[in-house]
Amino acid sequence: MRRLSFAALLVLIFSTIGYSGRSDAHPVSYKGAWGLMSYNSPDMTEVSLVHSLSSRLAIGSTYLKSSDSEFYLPRVNWLAKRWNNEDSQANIYLSGGVGAEVFQANHQTVGMAGIGMDWESRRYYVLFDHLHLHRDLQRDHRPNYGYMKLRLGTAPFLAEYDELNVWLILQGERYFGRGPAGDDVELTQLLRFYVRNTLWEIGARLNGGWVLNYMVHF
Amino acid sequence: MKTIVLGILGIFMALPAMAGQELKVGVKGMVCAFCAQGIEKKFRAQAEVSDIEVSLENKFVKLKFKDGMSLSETKIAELLKDAGYEANFSAASKP
Repeated sequence: MRRLSFAALLVLIFSTIGYSGRSDAHPVSYKGAWGLMSYNSPDMTEVSLVHSLSSRLAIGSTYLKSSDSEFYLPRVNWLAKRWNNEDSQANIYLSGGVGAEVFQANHQTVGMAGIGMDWESRRYYVLFDHLHLHRDLQRDHRPNYGYMKLRLGTAPFLAEYDELNVWLILQGERYFGRGPAGDDVELTQLLRFYVRNTLWEIGARLNGGWVLNYMVHF
Repeated sequence: MKTIVLGILGIFMALPAMAGQELKVGVKGMVCAFCAQGIEKKFRAQAEVSDIEVSLENKFVKLKFKDGMSLSETKIAELLKDAGYEANFSAASKP
């Protein structure tokens, strides 16, 4: 019965929230595109590979390693809404999936749901992202895992797409259920640069620590 | 001799008409390099297109077609939609 209720919850999450992704990762790209994304810090590693079936729907898989757990998450990302304006673009992404968590050599099922919203022009960039990993709380007494993230960015100069694009970004994020790493808010200043289809971000947290992110679309 | 000269002149006069057509199409929402890269890839895959120039600053793509070929507005709009963007033909022009 407990397993049934957990499965029902996953189905509910999957059907109502749908599919998500990290919008700083452009979780849905153009039809036929592949995207490889990696987010790295001293206490977390995340790698995702996604394939866009259309300009609105992508499938993929995420490997996420936190301070005490590893997650394997097949996922679907859905661009729920896009506003293509003359000088800007805004998006709402939903994502979801069901996968496994490895914790102290035990395998457990986890459900994933997320929402990402962003707005960007050639000069400014705002992003909100929330990821929720749902554990079977009746079998697992640890709290659910997840994070919320807010980003504000600006480009110090405008560049064409085949030139070097540089962005300065301030990121605030809060993790939940992270165990020993704690749930404090972390502020990170990032330098993003990209040319054509490849993006790099390097960052320093205000309380110490580093961040290194990478993304490519092909 | 007169025939040869007239023939050469005829060839030179016909050259502009034989050259590939160009078309500028405005694109709504194209604000980043990732956007532009997807759009460029979509159009380069078309047999009719010989070259494409993307301008984030001016928010357009300039398509150069192979001789005697072109793409309809419907097809261009469909390709941009596949890339996730919206054609703005009111900003389009034929140079």
